[in-house]
Amino acid sequence: MKAREPAWRVFASEFNASTLKIKGEGEKAPSYVVTPLGAMVNRLFIVGILTDIQNLGTEQEPYWRATVSDGTDRFYIYAGKYATEASSALAKIEPPSFVAVIGKSRTYSSDEGKFYVSVRAEKVLSVDEGIKDNWLLETIRATLRRIDAMEEALQMETPSVQSLVNLGFPASLADGVVRAVEHYQNPDVNRFRGTVLEALEQLLPDRAFDLPLPQDLPSPEEIYDSDIDGEDIDDGEKEEIVLKLIEKLDVNKKGAPLSELIKESAKLGIEEDELEEINNSLLDKGLIYEPTIGRMKRI
Amino acid sequence: MMNKEELAPHVKEIARVLEGRVKEEDIERDLDNYLNVYRMSLEASRRHIVRKYGGDPNALTKGERKTLAQLGLNEGSVDILARVMSSTTREITVSGTPKTIQSGVLADDAGTTVKFTVWDLTKADLQPNTNYLIRYAYTREWNGQPELHLGNRVVVEERPDDEVVVPEGISIPSSGGRSAPQTVKVSGLQDNMYNVTLTGRILSLKNREVDTPSGKKMMFSGILGDETGRVEFTAWEDFNLREGEVVTISNGYVKGWKGIPRLSFGEKAEVTRPKIDFPSAEELSKEAVRTIEDIERTGGAFDVSVHGTIVDIKKGTGLIFRCPECNRVVLKGVCQVHGKVQQIPDLRVRAILDDGFAAMTVVMRKEVSENLTGITLKEALEEARETMDIETISQRFEERLLAKPVMVRGTVMSDDYGLSMTASEARFVTLDVKSEAEALLRKIEVI
Repeated sequence: MKAREPAWRVFASEFNASTLKIKGEGEKAPSYVVTPLGAMVNRLFIVGILTDIQNLGTEQEPYWRATVSDGTDRFYIYAGKYATEASSALAKIEPPSFVAVIGKSRTYSSDEGKFYVSVRAEKVLSVDEGIKDNWLLETIRATLRRIDAMEEALQMETPSVQSLVNLGFPASLADGVVRAVEHYQNPDVNRFRGTVLEALEQLLPDRAFDLPLPQDLPSPEEIYDSDIDGEDIDDGEKEEIVLKLIEKLDVNKKGAPLSELIKESAKLGIEEDELEEINNSLLDKGLIYEPTIGRMKRI
Repeated sequence: MMNKEELAPHVKEIARVLEGRVKEEDIERDLDNYLNVYRMSLEASRRHIVRKYGGDPNALTKGERKTLAQLGLNEGSVDILARVMSSTTREITVSGTPKTIQSGVLADDAGTTVKFTVWDLTKADLQPNTNYLIRYAYTREWNGQPELHLGNRVVVEERPDDEVVVPEGISIPSSGGRSAPQTVKVSGLQDNMYNVTLTGRILSLKNREVDTPSGKKMMFSGILGDETGRVEFTAWEDFNLREGEVVTISNGYVKGWKGIPRLSFGEKAEVTRPKIDFPSAEELSKEAVRTIEDIERTGGAFDVSVHGTIVDIKKGTGLIFRCPECNRVVLKGVCQVHGKVQQIPDLRVRAILDDGFAAMTVVMRKEVSENLTGITLKEALEEARETMDIETISQRFEERLLAKPVMVRGTVMSDDYGLSMTASEARFVTLDVKSEAEALLRKIEVI
């Protein structure tokens, strides 16, 4: 039986953290991106905010690159001449707006060996907020299920597909989880619990949240234990402080969120525009880079 | 690159052909060299090594060498090395002529067992407590397990006692023995099950007379339900069944049609009337919700409800035209069987329903399509007349349906392309997202 590939519900932060690609045997065999929680993604269903769209091609032969944010990170969506339907649909949508995308996972490895994932769109359409909320809920459930499966697998001496299926997980997920355990070596499950909470926060904006991530954040004292007086430090020292801060705030290895960086720097007496200068200088020196917009990471 | 474990069966096979003249370590080193350094194909590497040591490459097996645990349900040609644990011969009648066959149980080093049948005793005659290399055998599924068949292409070779040492204490199934009775719920029924015990309420019942080789016979059929769902049944004997009563059927079996299980019971079955509390007929007629992956496991289901999101709209959705004679979809007024016909307009949806873990096709006939999309056949025809294009209707259908969460009800069957449902009902689902999110949050906070 050659069943259709299911459209996985995966948050951008989980999808983008993937570094494993699997190619089936045979000519028409599908390929999969295996996420750190073991989703074996060939096709995926995404709902989020279209934040940006660019034509990387020509007027006659457009090749669109769009970014869709789901609140945890952003998906990179591509549509060109082989997806005319998705391509013409994308061209008509003005960002920002809620969109649904059904597409296939794609990977790209740079010469330096960095691994990037993206989505080649099959269908793109505008949707309302209800559809987005419904997607968030579904994706939270699916992510929790993967977390469950992953935690079960991590407790097993030798995780196997059969033992996970016996626990009631679907075979496709069990397969992915076993591969993920092997490739990612102890995937950071808690990080994705944090993603789930971020998504729940979107659905329940009025509720006070105890996000586990900020709790884990070091206090400024821990980062820089001596008493700091903003006026007394010179530029070189400030760069050193910001560099350390970026490293410390990078709790999920995706880079330090700029908003956190601004907050924490302010506590140390570095104002926002000064921080921008320091960041630019660090970027120029090649000491940090921007893995995604709004995040800084130490090289 | 092949690792040591994957190489092992081939090393053993080469050693067998070379009749122990060469040490296995040497063969392994050679094979690794050919495959992983010189990147030759496995087949060529095996032949080269055999030739290099003066053996006959043609003695190598060509079928795929597998352990018993690796056997699939439908192997075309497979080689195995195993020990015969039991073996009996018996006579059967094949299209009127008597024939002697042999059956029994094989086991291997890992303690895995498999039943076997020899169809041609001139090709193979397997003696108990003897090791054999069996080449060019095939497997067929029996009750969810592979069974090894030795047909007229088979080649067997007796092997020394120390080549297969079956671990002690493994349980050997008796050949041809029936499995223990299994008590199941409706949602657990799947094709080819037998010796099934099931308790349910008879929700509908009808009888009809059928012609059998032994004369006219009354046969009973209907729908049986429990809290997990409903199933169609056929009773080949008169068990004095009554609509509405709760019955326990023992020694029933399941015959499926395109994966849709149907419970059958005949003269070997027993029907009892347990005195138990059981959901009412009304309750048992409500939606029986199952997931797509769950239905995938059983291969199909009768009258179930499935939740998911529409992620694709297939060709043949929207306004279509049918042949008045055969109901086939016609193109430009021409039926492929009846030629030019007075075509009848109809509405249809063919969509992919997906819940993130599995997907299936859903087909909705006119009334279901109209209800769900809010576009009637009349409106569709008017619009098509105005725009002179029937494609616009399918586009409007797509706009209304794509990315929407729905609940569909119907019977699900399977074919080469997976599951498909013929829907009798379909509706959009709106969730109370906030309270669902609160519930999820509570669950996480507990952890």
